Amino acid sequence: MASRVSGRRDTLLLGACVALSVVTLALPQAVQDPFAAAMRRSVVAPLLSLQYNAELTRRAWEARERTRAERDSVVLAAMTAPQLERENERLRKMLGLGRRLRWGFVPAEALFNRSPGEEYTVVLSAGSRAGVRQFSPVVAPEGLVGMVRIVDPATSIAIVWPHTDFRVSAQSAEGSAFGIVGPHLGDEPDRYLLEMRGVPLRTSLARGTLIVSSGLGGVFPRGIPIGVVERELRTSEVWANTYLLRPAVLPADMSTVMILHPQRAGSGVDGVWDLANPDSAAADSVRRADSLARAQADTVRPREARPAAARVDTTRARVTPPVRRDTARRQAPARRDTASLRRDTARPQTVRRDTARRDTVRRDTVRGDTVRRDTATPAPVPLPAPPPGDSTARDTTASTP
Amino acid sequence: MKGIDLLRILIAFGLLLVLHYTLRPLLAWRSSPDFLVIALLLVSIRVRPGTAAIVGFVTGLVADSISIDGLGAGALAMSVVAFGASWLKAVFFADNLPLIAFFIFLGKWALDIMYHLASGNLGGGELAMQLLVWSPLAAAVTALFGLIVLALLRPILRTSPA
Repeated sequence: MASRVSGRRDTLLLGACVALSVVTLALPQAVQDPFAAAMRRSVVAPLLSLQYNAELTRRAWEARERTRAERDSVVLAAMTAPQLERENERLRKMLGLGRRLRWGFVPAEALFNRSPGEEYTVVLSAGSRAGVRQFSPVVAPEGLVGMVRIVDPATSIAIVWPHTDFRVSAQSAEGSAFGIVGPHLGDEPDRYLLEMRGVPLRTSLARGTLIVSSGLGGVFPRGIPIGVVERELRTSEVWANTYLLRPAVLPADMSTVMILHPQRAGSGVDGVWDLANPDSAAADSVRRADSLARAQADTVRPREARPAAARVDTTRARVTPPVRRDTARRQAPARRDTASLRRDTARPQTVRRDTARRDTVRRDTVRGDTVRRDTATPAPVPLPAPPPGDSTARDTTASTP
Repeated sequence: MKGIDLLRILIAFGLLLVLHYTLRPLLAWRSSPDFLVIALLLVSIRVRPGTAAIVGFVTGLVADSISIDGLGAGALAMSVVAFGASWLKAVFFADNLPLIAFFIFLGKWALDIMYHLASGNLGGGELAMQLLVWSPLAAAVTALFGLIVLALLRPILRTSPA
């Protein structure tokens, strides 16, 4: 009986609560709002205060997280800023090179091949569809990078200057010395240097002398910076000097390159790499080397202390490539006597000398260079005429009395 | 119920009330745990259904005063849920944590259904989404937190021997 009474009472209480709730719900908004406000100001005020403080805490936490994220972003941006500046600088140089080249080139991204034995090849992001051909020269704003070996429609593979097959016919920037530049096959870190071989004994190259491509061979046009002379190398070769070169283009600068079309390479790149240009790395190297050379003017080797007139004469004679090569190889006494005699004796051998000066491509494809030089085969190999600008310069110099 | 047990229940209820207005805004989840429901059910299963209905009504009114619209909807829903919880507890359940968690889940879901239907603040697809997706999720989260709270408050909520 008691439980039935209490059960009825519970039901009544529930009914009352439900009824009150329904009445409250049915009240107009104008009545509800003051009632709710009164509750918020009295009974619920401490709870509201708690909720408000919790909200503030959450916002402070979020603001702290946001601030930390912003600070991290700023730090990250500060860390990447120098890299971006370098990239900007590089792209600016590339734009400058493109402006100077004006036509006949393809910009490409270079990706180093990391597989064993292929460390010195790069995959270029341009192929035959973009006009790239085998043996196309690959250049950078600083100078020569390498040469295209394999061409696919969309990509191509190039060897870069540390590659063992890389050769380029070279000369000093002022044209006083000629030679063949190839990689220096020493141990690290000298592996990333170049050698200029076959420089006649009478020619002395000061440290910092800029070496550029000579244009002989028809692959690399004349005037692309290759590197600067670091020092002379002691080798077993008796009749020629070998110089160690610091490359104009470092491996880190090979990320973005230009591939020259064969027509562009054939028409020459005179004025593209301007040594007077302050943003030229080669020019910087030359300037630094020049100042060093001036500072060390008194400590040069004895043969550099010869009379000025004699040096001038010798230089004139030296710029004639046929004379230099042939006399260096087989007529050393005549070379020392007179320049005219050297020229006369050398003229019949001109073609052979030219082939000896061929750069990588021709040596790789013809394989006649080493054989001809070593065995001194009498029959000259007929070769196409050298580039007009190059031959003109050489002839002019040779005819100078 | 003895005085000491009543005091313990009141302490637990107060703690949960504070948690509702502190931890919940801090978490700010889309499906937040409803500590008011946990507190209400905790009390409801220890008092008579009529008393539970009154506690539910008052608690609902407090909650409604903070919300923007539907003053009375929470009071109605909590009254019914509290009464039902107390009645069902008397009929079915013992002190079993999984059962209580399920109980809390059902209680929270039922409360949400009644609240949203009574207040009329949502309609159409939004109401269906709320009642079929978000409310069950909130109920599950509430049940989980209810289990944790009950486990933590077990020393307080243990009834003293007669």
